[in-house]
Amino acid sequence: MKNLVAKLLGRPAANSREEAKKRLKVLLIHDQVDLTPAQMEAMKAEIMEVIARYVQIDPINTEFRLERADGQVALVSTVPVTRVVERPATA
Amino acid sequence: MSECIVVTSGKGGVGKTTTTANLGVALGRLGAKVAVVDADIGLRNLDVILGLENRIVYDLVHVVEGSCRLKQALVRDKRVDGLFLLPAAQTRDKNAVTPRQMRELVADLKKDFDYVLVDSPAGIEQGFKNAVAGADRAVVVTTPEVSAIRDADRIIGMVEANELPEPQLVINRYRPRMAAAGDMMTKEDILELLSIPLLGIVPDTEDIIVSSNRGMPVALDDSSRVGEAYRRIARRLTGEPDVPMLDLSADQGWWSALKRWVGLQPAREVVG
Ligand SMILES: Nc1ncnc2c1ncn2[C@@H]1O[C@H](COP(=O)(O)OP(=O)(O)OP(=O)(O)O)[C@@H](O)[C@H]1O
Ligand SMILES: [Mg+2]
Repeated sequence: MKNLVAKLLGRPAANSREEAKKRLKVLLIHDQVDLTPAQMEAMKAEIMEVIARYVQIDPINTEFRLERADGQVALVSTVPVTRVVERPATA
Repeated sequence: MSECIVVTSGKGGVGKTTTTANLGVALGRLGAKVAVVDADIGLRNLDVILGLENRIVYDLVHVVEGSCRLKQALVRDKRVDGLFLLPAAQTRDKNAVTPRQMRELVADLKKDFDYVLVDSPAGIEQGFKNAVAGADRAVVVTTPEVSAIRDADRIIGMVEANELPEPQLVINRYRPRMAAAGDMMTKEDILELLSIPLLGIVPDTEDIIVSSNRGMPVALDDSSRVGEAYRRIARRLTGEPDVPMLDLSADQGWWSALKRWVGLQPAREVVG
């Protein structure tokens, strides 16, 4: 009943508030650090190369992104380490 | 102890002049001696918002060039004890004044006034640099829109680069109902994005347009709710702790009640 009345009164279809906030989050970070997406990709590739020298990583699920909290931009990354220990198949 | 506070925004037209005029009036009504300075040289506006345009003889550029004394250029607001306007020049441009001259001017004003409020022009160039030059702290005005918030963020960085403390935020033209319906960023969204302390919220209202037609800032009107919002912001500006937010829920009709019941409208709209 409640839902039906809500529909009749016209619930907004898309939420432009969320969209505005999402766009601004990206915008403010890029305004602040002045790093292009291409530079970001290059940095990611180089960092992964270094990490791969020490541990085995899962490049598909690796994530690099810039985040901002309290006016500070931080590079946040998740690099899954696949500790696949090579064992000879003895049997 | 006197203080100079610059009102700035980055983006144009978000309400700097309206804010400066009303905070000047509200601070004056609290008993402070206040000088409001129009630093928007070439685009003088603060005089008309205050309704003082017919009483101007000299302006800020005359003062810095030494063609009149500071006291001669100050226009007294007869409605508010202790409130004075230093108008901008209308026929000159921003380069007629340097940041150093502004610093000296503000230092002179601070000898006679408790608060010197500087209305900054839009932009991040010379006019902004002049406006922040003599300031001890800044109030950043924004509206709940992407472009205004982006520019506010830029200006916050520039205020801090000018070695001023972290500025305080005024969110202007807020529409609680749109925010509640998900059609406008909320106060919380904006504070999360800009991460500076909130000084207050001013609703979007026709009263502001009527008051600018008349040259009667809403802060003069005791029965005006948006005037009350400015008066509370002024109290916070003086450092008064815990000034409560203003409740602006105006809708008491059955339609609103129905919308509230189905969750399309919040129970209360708190602003201030
Ligand atoms: N809270 C409000 N509700 C409705 N209208 C408003 C509100 N605040 C400002 N306005 C309107 O917005 C317009 C711009 O306001 P104002 O001149 O104060 O902005 P500004 O930031 O000083 O502009 P500029 O950058 O050109 O100096 C004016 O027409 C004013 O009446
Ligand atoms: Mg203005």
